Amino acid sequence: MRFCLFSLFLLFNLTALAAEKLVRGLGPEPDSLDIHLAQGVAALNVLRDIREGIMTLSEAGEPVYGVAESVSLQAEGRLVVVHLQHNLSWSDGTPLRAVDFVHGWQRAVTPVTAAANAVLLDAVENAKAIRQGTQPLESLGIHALDEYTLEIRLNRKVPWLSWLLAHPVSFPLAGAGGTSRDHRAGPFNGAYTLKSWTPNDRLVLQRNPYFHSSDSVSMKRVEYVPIPSPNTELNRFRAGELQLTETIPPARYDWLQENYPNELKVHPYLGTFFLGLNLRRQPLSDNNSLRRALLLAVDRDKLTALVLASGEKPAYSLVPPGIGAYQQQYPGGAGDKQSLREQTARDLYRLAGFGEGNQLHLELRINSSSTHRRMALAVAAMWKQTLGVVTRIVHEEWKVFVNNRNQAVITEVFRGGWIGDFPDPVTFLSLFSSNNVQNWSGYHSLRFDNLMALAEAETDPGQRLQLLQNAEKQLLDDVPMIPLYYYVSRHLVDQRVNGYTANTLDIHLSRYLDLEER
Amino acid sequence: MLNYSLRRLAWAFPTLLLLITVAFFMIRVAPGGPFDSEKNLPAEIEQNLNAKYHLDEPLVQQYFRYLGQILRFDFGPSFQYRDWTVNQLIAKGFPVSLSIGALAMLLSFTLGTGIGTIAALRQNSILDHGLMGFAMLGISIPNFVIAPLLILVISVYMGWLPSGGWEWHWRNMVLPVITLAMPVTAYIARLMRGSMIEVLHSDFIRTARAKGLSEITVIRRHAMKPALLPVISFMGPALAGLITGSVVIEKIFAIPGIGSFFVQGAMNRDYTLVMGVVIFYGALIILFNFLVDLIYAWLNPRIHYK
Repeated sequence: MRFCLFSLFLLFNLTALAAEKLVRGLGPEPDSLDIHLAQGVAALNVLRDIREGIMTLSEAGEPVYGVAESVSLQAEGRLVVVHLQHNLSWSDGTPLRAVDFVHGWQRAVTPVTAAANAVLLDAVENAKAIRQGTQPLESLGIHALDEYTLEIRLNRKVPWLSWLLAHPVSFPLAGAGGTSRDHRAGPFNGAYTLKSWTPNDRLVLQRNPYFHSSDSVSMKRVEYVPIPSPNTELNRFRAGELQLTETIPPARYDWLQENYPNELKVHPYLGTFFLGLNLRRQPLSDNNSLRRALLLAVDRDKLTALVLASGEKPAYSLVPPGIGAYQQQYPGGAGDKQSLREQTARDLYRLAGFGEGNQLHLELRINSSSTHRRMALAVAAMWKQTLGVVTRIVHEEWKVFVNNRNQAVITEVFRGGWIGDFPDPVTFLSLFSSNNVQNWSGYHSLRFDNLMALAEAETDPGQRLQLLQNAEKQLLDDVPMIPLYYYVSRHLVDQRVNGYTANTLDIHLSRYLDLEER
Repeated sequence: MLNYSLRRLAWAFPTLLLLITVAFFMIRVAPGGPFDSEKNLPAEIEQNLNAKYHLDEPLVQQYFRYLGQILRFDFGPSFQYRDWTVNQLIAKGFPVSLSIGALAMLLSFTLGTGIGTIAALRQNSILDHGLMGFAMLGISIPNFVIAPLLILVISVYMGWLPSGGWEWHWRNMVLPVITLAMPVTAYIARLMRGSMIEVLHSDFIRTARAKGLSEITVIRRHAMKPALLPVISFMGPALAGLITGSVVIEKIFAIPGIGSFFVQGAMNRDYTLVMGVVIFYGALIILFNFLVDLIYAWLNPRIHYK
């Protein structure tokens, strides 16, 4: 009897404890928790919980002051003066000073660090040259004027500066961190500290008492569990072991809408899925009519509503909706009925020199995944029905695919897509600049490049957006790719979780979340 | 016997060397490299990365550098999980894989031999057909079908056991161990039944029965040992298979074992991680086979190793 009571007591205690921790799905295992090496979304999400920069993100995903008290722009935005809060310290109790940012940024651009995200700092004076080894480290345009004041010199005004200052690559590092330091051990300066990390199992985060706004952080403990398989994640959510999932199995979308209508959160995400067209090769190069015919023949409403059927929104442009004042661009025909578009497509196809006697044979290259397979089959069927194009679908394993797409030697039509680093049209449009390494299509347009360069030099925000809109219009007229759909973020959120606000960046810092006791 | 053991162990080294060499060059032949990703790296960053991990050296030089490392039991840093060395990843994952694999082996051995023996004793009865039919089901239904069913019923609907994840607690082990053990149990049961039937028809059993021993004593003292021989020789590779082959189980139950590193490593072209796991598994399989041979000799009086 006594034993029974004891067990009951234990059980009760355990459930009471459970409400003090929040368990979040993380997707894949994070690649690194080193702010300069981390690239994956999973790692960046954890880093935003355990570290903080000059800026951070609000519940709604907007940049707000992080460790900064104020940030002022001078010299037409090329000089940034940052005043830090005075009460800051690292999780080991040592004070956080302006010089910690200098250490962090210097390490980011040092060649030996080989930081992939260092390119994000290229607008900082001499950053690129240091990265390429032609300038000494000390010449980097960031200096500590005193313990609490930072001065950042930029080559030009950076419109997405506040987003950049909230990105982990620009976070501070305690002391002169060498490349070999163990970044799992901290110290940290975020709302949480990393208590333990077992690969493929979980990362345990504990509230950081030294965090400047520690009083406002409700969850004492947050666990991130890496679960690469969405089906496994769904099971664990249904069994009550997770309160927030990273995604959902796409095939279960309808079922979830029906059975978990209050938990399912679908929101536009800063990304566009498109099919790239290789303009370096026949038959797609020098044949705008053909490319336009292929573009118009795809029924994107059908594709998103019936084939993918998991919340995606049909896309007619490269830049997704929801980026400030930027007006989305639509190519001619985007507003037409699909039947009319298909009629135009057939006319253009004939104009391009193809027809019943002369079928077009195309290759559509994708990396293997069930979503891509369905997309490719549907697109091939639409091309066949409307135009009579014979499409061969080539499936490739991820690394093989990425390699082929980069080389652009054997590709014709290929799976493309982009998730923006910042909510700014440039992160999408610059993909098609002639000198961009990501320009998989080999798109080369003097007018487009000019407009992009003008936009870069323009300091008036309104004028800048106008130039970028013109650039996108040019791009869409030239059809180096076929936009298919805009990505959406999809999560299951337990109804006991408060403070979850859907946002375009799909970043939800744990410090804003709260789990009600059962 | 000692002589034989030493000779067997000596052979392990050239075997491993061959394995290392083939694996090393095979993974390098696969297209794409560890640092290829959605975002292309600027050329100088890629160069820096290659220099950092010695990927800019000629392949043969890299090979000998790697051999040198292995002699010091250093598998190097993981390319994909850059905060970890391969040694650390294996050290974290192996105890988990080993416990699940060993528990599954224990369960399959006990259940399998039991079921096999009972079926053999009641040969061609309804019980025999029932048990063997069940075993056939166990072999034929793949574990990626069984596992989600178990999760759905036991975890999601009933809420009895966690649907996945790992803590060093029996509750987390039950479902994965059962799923993993199922096909092996079935296989052992069929093996055991076959060999038990054969043994029961041999002369020395007839002699034992003629002496008036009870049926239980005949089975326990005389039939069991020889009947176990085929099961034992199956167990070496089976245990290695259970520990290494639990990739699917690890994925479905979100278990932080070593198997997922194998698959993720290969997908990511994480050369060092794949190599580390291959060598580790290779050594393990060699070890298990060796142990099985020793047990075999101990059980079978007709075998003498020279």
